[in-house]
Amino acid sequence: MRTRLTLTGSLPLVALMAGAGVAMAQGSPKPVTLLNVSYDPTRELYEDFNQQFATYWKGKTGQEVTIRQSHGGSGKQARSVIDGLEADVVTLALAYDIDQIAEKGGLLPANWQSRLPNNSSPYTSTIVLLVRKGNPKGIKDWGDLAKSGVSVVTPNPKTSGGARWNYLAAWAWALRQPGGNEATAREFVTRLYKNVPVLDAGARGATTTFVERGIGDVLIAWENEALLAIKELGQGKFEIVAPSVSILAEPPVAVVDKIAGKHGTKAVAQAYLEYLYTETGQEIAARHFYRPRLASVAAKYDAQFPKLRLVTVDEVFGGWRKAHATHFADGALFDQIYQPGR
Amino acid sequence: MRGVRYWTSSLIVMAGIVAWAPQIVAQQDSTSLEARVNELDQQVRILQRLRELAADSAAAAAKDKVSATASSKDGFSIKSADGKFAVRLKGLVQADGRFYLSDSAVPVTNTFFIRRARPILEATVGKYLEFRVQPDFGQGTTVLFDAYADVKIAPAFALRAGKFKPAVDLERYQSASDIVFAERALATNLAPNRDVGLQLSGDLGSGAFTWQAGVFNGVPDLGNGDGDVSDAKDFAGRVFFQPFKTGTLGGLGVGVAGTTGLERGTAAAPALASYRTPGQQTWFRYGSSTTTPANNVFADGRRARLAPQAYLYTGPLGLHAEYIQSWQAVSRAGAATVKLKHTAWQTTGSFFLTGEKNSFKSAAPKKAFDPKAGTFGALELAARYSELSIDDATFPTFASAASTPSKAKAWAVGVNWYLARAIKVVVDYEHATFTGGTVAGDREAENFVVTRVQHSF
Repeated sequence: MRTRLTLTGSLPLVALMAGAGVAMAQGSPKPVTLLNVSYDPTRELYEDFNQQFATYWKGKTGQEVTIRQSHGGSGKQARSVIDGLEADVVTLALAYDIDQIAEKGGLLPANWQSRLPNNSSPYTSTIVLLVRKGNPKGIKDWGDLAKSGVSVVTPNPKTSGGARWNYLAAWAWALRQPGGNEATAREFVTRLYKNVPVLDAGARGATTTFVERGIGDVLIAWENEALLAIKELGQGKFEIVAPSVSILAEPPVAVVDKIAGKHGTKAVAQAYLEYLYTETGQEIAARHFYRPRLASVAAKYDAQFPKLRLVTVDEVFGGWRKAHATHFADGALFDQIYQPGR
Repeated sequence: MRGVRYWTSSLIVMAGIVAWAPQIVAQQDSTSLEARVNELDQQVRILQRLRELAADSAAAAAKDKVSATASSKDGFSIKSADGKFAVRLKGLVQADGRFYLSDSAVPVTNTFFIRRARPILEATVGKYLEFRVQPDFGQGTTVLFDAYADVKIAPAFALRAGKFKPAVDLERYQSASDIVFAERALATNLAPNRDVGLQLSGDLGSGAFTWQAGVFNGVPDLGNGDGDVSDAKDFAGRVFFQPFKTGTLGGLGVGVAGTTGLERGTAAAPALASYRTPGQQTWFRYGSSTTTPANNVFADGRRARLAPQAYLYTGPLGLHAEYIQSWQAVSRAGAATVKLKHTAWQTTGSFFLTGEKNSFKSAAPKKAFDPKAGTFGALELAARYSELSIDDATFPTFASAASTPSKAKAWAVGVNWYLARAIKVVVDYEHATFTGGTVAGDREAENFVVTRVQHSF
């Protein structure tokens, strides 16, 4: 069949559409939305940071950016991204979780950690002990947590990144005790988890258990979460106990290339994460009790952070991959140590 | 002296002990009790928190859970937790009895048979894609009725591709499980049944305005096609308004549909329709000859249809009506091409004696049939009138007046008993008369009784 197109009639319409397109191209860029999938205690940090970044980005490019947040246990969040939650960026509790997104989801390259400074970790934190005012159980160090009659609150390492840091910090302390070795560390951590009455799925849930529900004598917590609890959730009701040894937690961030590419948000997602490293970003992190990387900001906020001897996962556990396989994989040490209901 | 002092001091100590002992014991009891209360308080708090966490876990698990459901409305379905993926199995079975009364001149066999037997498979794949496949095994044949994919980007804009009903005839657009009478009216003869093509559609204002526009292979009136015999395609479109969404006129709908295209058949493959009586007997056909097939009439040019239509549903009352004109250019060997215009209309009314709300879709009885509970289901009375007129220019060149009537008229009454949403029993009587069709005059009237037991889910 012959099809006749009325080209002459269509030309004005085409010209009109082209004109409109050019006009649009010359106007404000199209608004964009990012989804930041993060771990449990970063809600307040990113609420603050997102506003600041949106203002910065609008000023720089004229583009409106809206950042949506999703929070939960770090491991659980990583699983959600692998299963289809369309995160433009992830800001999780540990590198292993982003490795999983790269490996199992294929959503970003394996070398993601080398794409931003400090192993893609713009701020650090550590693990401390939060006790009730007056420290009624006399908690001074990790060893006290395994004593009879002490009730300990910590989340579940199977779902929470923070809980893994907690667990490894306790293990590292036990290794550094006189005569300490893998067997004594295991025995100590086993006794410690026998004192845990409730395993929350994430760090924020554990804080709720300890602070709001009034359960337990000590909360093993992110330093930022413990400082937040003292300053904002329960003024005058809690004290921080700095253990003799703790672990240097380096929560990493990354652009999820495939999703950001699909959404056309790669540039703004990259800028979003880079902004965490700026003085403004570092100030915001410090105000929310994360230890900043930038020396000038770190010096300014030095007084708010307890002085601790910090070990790293790499030096004590041989990196996250090994730590996961030994301690947190199905059937590994944590499953052997902690059996619900027993 | 020393002894006296010893005994004196001993007595003082003992007196002191006796005096203070209850207080010490009481203090110890109090400390122990407080510790016990604290311990119990912690236990209660722990149990409460564990219960909270268990509830959270259950809620989270429910979100991830694939659900399987069964209902008379939606059939059997399996759905992912987020609702983005689903498979639904539905079905329609109609067991009919057809009885032709006073059929001495045109005898037709009374028979029980399966009018429709349709398993229906529907699937939702992701956020925007839906599929439907509906074969029919009724009447001892296998025919694919629907096989299409919908891309539903927004209510105002959707794309359908595959085989489906072109949006032309109001009664045809109504599902076979929802039609008021067992068989559709004479007017439906002038509209396509199923065709293969692409259609854009939209719904604005939650049904206040719906539109469809599509391109199809093109089929003759009443046709159910799977392919095309020519390059030409038909275009079909429909707009339908429901201006009042509430009140007495809330169920008023008015619209118009039309098709246009070219169809060029051949004497061997004429691409022309035959028309049926309400009893599904052929009463009109274009001229054809088994001895000289070269003389067969065939489609030869423009085919178009125009179908204004309306319905009104208010309380238990339902009315719908439509008018259809169908133009078809036809030719035969040795004759000039002539553009014929056939016209038809129908109006149908129904009323639920049991008070159910009438609508374009089947009603659900207020109380399903249950003899033990003394409930009856829903009872609907229905009446219909329809006509179909063949263009005078058809005779005698393109159809024989001696064997083909030029007009059919039919009135019908019926009763529908809805035992439950899924089960309907139908009894209809339809009387059709004809103008012409025999050498002696009019073709014998058709007196058609049909019974139906329908199960749809």
